[in-house]
Amino acid sequence: MRAHGAGAEDPVSTEMVHAIIDDIGALLLFTMILIVAAGQVYRAIYAVAAQSLLIAIAGGVLAAATGNIDLWVIAGITLVVKAIVLPSVLHWVVRRMNVRREVEPVIPIAATLALAVVIVVMSFHLSASLGTVRQAITGNALPVGIALTLTGVLVMATRMTALTQMVGLFASENGIFFTAMAVTQGMPLIIEIGVILDVILAALVMTIMVLRVRSTVDADIADLDRLRG
Amino acid sequence: MMSGEISVVIVLLDMALLVLIGPLVTGIIQKIKARLQCRQGAGVLQPYRDIRKLLRKGTVQADTASGFFRSIPVLVLAATVAAGALVPVMRAAPPVFPMGDAIMLLGLLALARFLTALGALDAGGAFGGMGASREMTIAPLVEPVLMMVVFSTALAAGTTELGALAAHRGTSWILSWRAADFLGFAAMLVLLPAETGRIPVDNPDTHLELTMLHEGMLLEHSGPGLGCMLLASHARQIVTLGLVSALFFPFGPTESAGAMGLLLGAGAFAVKILVLAGFLALVESSYAKLRLFRVPQYLGVGFVCALTALALRIL
Repeated sequence: MRAHGAGAEDPVSTEMVHAIIDDIGALLLFTMILIVAAGQVYRAIYAVAAQSLLIAIAGGVLAAATGNIDLWVIAGITLVVKAIVLPSVLHWVVRRMNVRREVEPVIPIAATLALAVVIVVMSFHLSASLGTVRQAITGNALPVGIALTLTGVLVMATRMTALTQMVGLFASENGIFFTAMAVTQGMPLIIEIGVILDVILAALVMTIMVLRVRSTVDADIADLDRLRG
Repeated sequence: MMSGEISVVIVLLDMALLVLIGPLVTGIIQKIKARLQCRQGAGVLQPYRDIRKLLRKGTVQADTASGFFRSIPVLVLAATVAAGALVPVMRAAPPVFPMGDAIMLLGLLALARFLTALGALDAGGAFGGMGASREMTIAPLVEPVLMMVVFSTALAAGTTELGALAAHRGTSWILSWRAADFLGFAAMLVLLPAETGRIPVDNPDTHLELTMLHEGMLLEHSGPGLGCMLLASHARQIVTLGLVSALFFPFGPTESAGAMGLLLGAGAFAVKILVLAGFLALVESSYAKLRLFRVPQYLGVGFVCALTALALRIL
């Protein structure tokens, strides 16, 4: 590992880091497209796991470039929690519930894809208009992060089942994480850990709720709006 | 102009090589597929034998077909072979005289597709009409996206000529990839089965009415005409693969180098085509064919990827 601030002294290396972060951003967008287009719950889960893995790699790259030890810790936690544990929990819930494996969209998936295109183009357009703020930030990290976050919200909004909504939540969270990492070169450790704990807690609560609702009333989240007391 | 003449010879050599090797690539894909399914499979030279057999047979033509029908196979083959002349195989530099660029290439492929559909409709068979209507449903979804992928790469080089594009990218391959290239390549991988008429969009091995797109349009052809159509579809496949390799993995001498450089370029091209053929065989063995109405959604993934690649380049 290089000493602190080595990246700033070596312009070639900084360029390279920017290029790598840009490339990872493109791959993140690709996994996001896969999540939006996934017709089966398993595929969406695998895609979000791959996305978290990419976030962890981005954290590792930034950590190596800036020599920030906190970033190494964050990359490690991201790898373990978001790329391995949470996807396997989701996987377990899908198997346990024995539900239909198809994603049930509110609007057709093709329409969701079209909306995703609008979001991507808009976020690039908007961040281009930020001017000086935009120039201070490495490459395309900001528009990619915004696009990831908003598309995650889109996935949450357009899916019927709680499981796929959770996938959307994780993707959205990944977007925020990527933006934070690339823009600030690493937030304070305590904030990052707090954010990750929030996600774990949300996943736990949602998992328990989904299983409980399922076992007591044999309904899914989408059916709850028709529930009458 | 000495180098100019050499360059023309190389372009013609490239074209001939593409057409001659086309059936071999199909044979290799079928062999890999057979192996993956634990079958022995036919030899890799089987497509050549098929074409040779067809060329020796007589022709039977539908009564409803017009005189134009007979010339369809030749025209389709000619358009596809002409498209092959625009793909750099052994070179990574533009030819000395203007020949046409990637847009021309896609246009020629579209022309071949249009003529095929026209022939299918002309013969008046029910299957042919159905195959043509399906093909024409898929084509407008594939071709614009292919164009966008080409543009997303061409924007960086400032040219749409494939040889110049390849020369601009240089030979550092994946190390020189920018963010947009990853997304463009992803879009290309999604489109590749559609453009080569393979699973999950089309199934080249079936004559079942529910599944066929391209095969349905060939049903009315027979004898040498069918042979030409088959040769054209093999050539189309390798031209598409060659387009991918020219856009994303160019390799070869940048100037009219000696025989050694050309051999090296040809060898690298063979390796690239083999890898892409292996990818196609793998996809074909591990996925089921999509329902026709699910195909737009599948191609939508490619569309979104290509558009995002363009956005990364422009915005």
